[in-house]
Amino acid sequence: MPKRHTLVFFLFIIASFILMTFQSKWGYTFHDNIFYVILNYSNEVIHSTADAFKQPFRRMALRDEENQKLQDRINNLLLKNEQHKETILENKRLRNLLKLHDNSQGYVATAEIIARGLHSLKDTLIINKGANHGIKKNMVAITPKGLAGKIVAVTDSYADLLLMTDINFSASVRLQESRKEGIVSGTGTGKCVLKYVPFGEEVHTGDIVVTSGLDQFFPRGIPVGYIAKLERKEKRGHFQYIEVVPFQDDKKLEEVIIIQ
Amino acid sequence: MRYVYWGLALFLALIIQSRLSLLGVSPNLTVLLAYFAGIRYGNTKGLFIGALIGAIEDSVSSSFLGPHMLSKGIVGYAASFMISGGFFRWTPVLGMILLSVLTLTDNAIGFISRTLFDKMPDALSTMFFISIMQSLLNAPAGIFLRPSDEE
Repeated sequence: MPKRHTLVFFLFIIASFILMTFQSKWGYTFHDNIFYVILNYSNEVIHSTADAFKQPFRRMALRDEENQKLQDRINNLLLKNEQHKETILENKRLRNLLKLHDNSQGYVATAEIIARGLHSLKDTLIINKGANHGIKKNMVAITPKGLAGKIVAVTDSYADLLLMTDINFSASVRLQESRKEGIVSGTGTGKCVLKYVPFGEEVHTGDIVVTSGLDQFFPRGIPVGYIAKLERKEKRGHFQYIEVVPFQDDKKLEEVIIIQ
Repeated sequence: MRYVYWGLALFLALIIQSRLSLLGVSPNLTVLLAYFAGIRYGNTKGLFIGALIGAIEDSVSSSFLGPHMLSKGIVGYAASFMISGGFFRWTPVLGMILLSVLTLTDNAIGFISRTLFDKMPDALSTMFFISIMQSLLNAPAGIFLRPSDEE
């Protein structure tokens, strides 16, 4: 029995060799047979079925990708828009400063605020101009809105600006309408107080306060702020308690003009 | 009914071979069928079923008739000869090793046949890589494809 199997095996090998030799000599045309057609047709059906399943996911992936690209583009445009807005606002501020520069007598320099003062208990700002630009101690800083403060320290390239709201700040002022005089001082809390106005004087909230020029430091007529609160109770002393809100908010200060 | 199952298995094997690939290498599932025929039905039937499977594979692979027929026939015969012929007693590990070796043999015979009677189908290194990959892919099936007396 095993010999017969071995014989069949060798006959099979010989037959295969003959078949292949024949084909290599005379060519072969087995491509277009039923198995080939059935297999390829099945493959086509499977492929198109799989494709039909994949197509919606592929589309979703493409849409996701496109959405991501559009989102990036929107973000870039929004960023550019913000930059433009910033430029427009800066332009507006600089125009106002330029106008003020033309109208201001005793102009010394225009300076940018570059930092808050290092002393945490003092309301000071650092400006990017100093003695090299003609700035001296006690010069006045103004903005298109009004008085900002005064210079308290100067180096060659920088200067310290003491804000109106600092407790050490004082300026001689008068009420624009009634021409009553007083002294405006900082409180350290973002507001100022108008001192030395007796109880008999008629003062109203909303009255505008301007510098009087009598202290020889601040030129006359610079807007300081408006009266926001009044207390006429006599138990506070001999004078009225008047709160003044500065026109120039020191939190929004970016550029100042230094005058003398 | 048995022929229907065999036909269906061959059809699925050919479909899977034509659609799946790992690192650019398609699995050689028809070897599994030839191997299974050999260990189940003895060497002569294994030889003929393997040869038939190989002939069909040849006919769908746009090639000349013979290389797959010869290699699968030999695989069917050798599988039966090794297991049922008393050379080895079947164990899962032996099944894995034998299937790997027979997959390598199948590829080697196919490669040599084509090189002799047609032209070299691929570079030797590529053939070597494909053979190793296919034998590794087929090896686990050696655990599950067992002779009828081992079930």
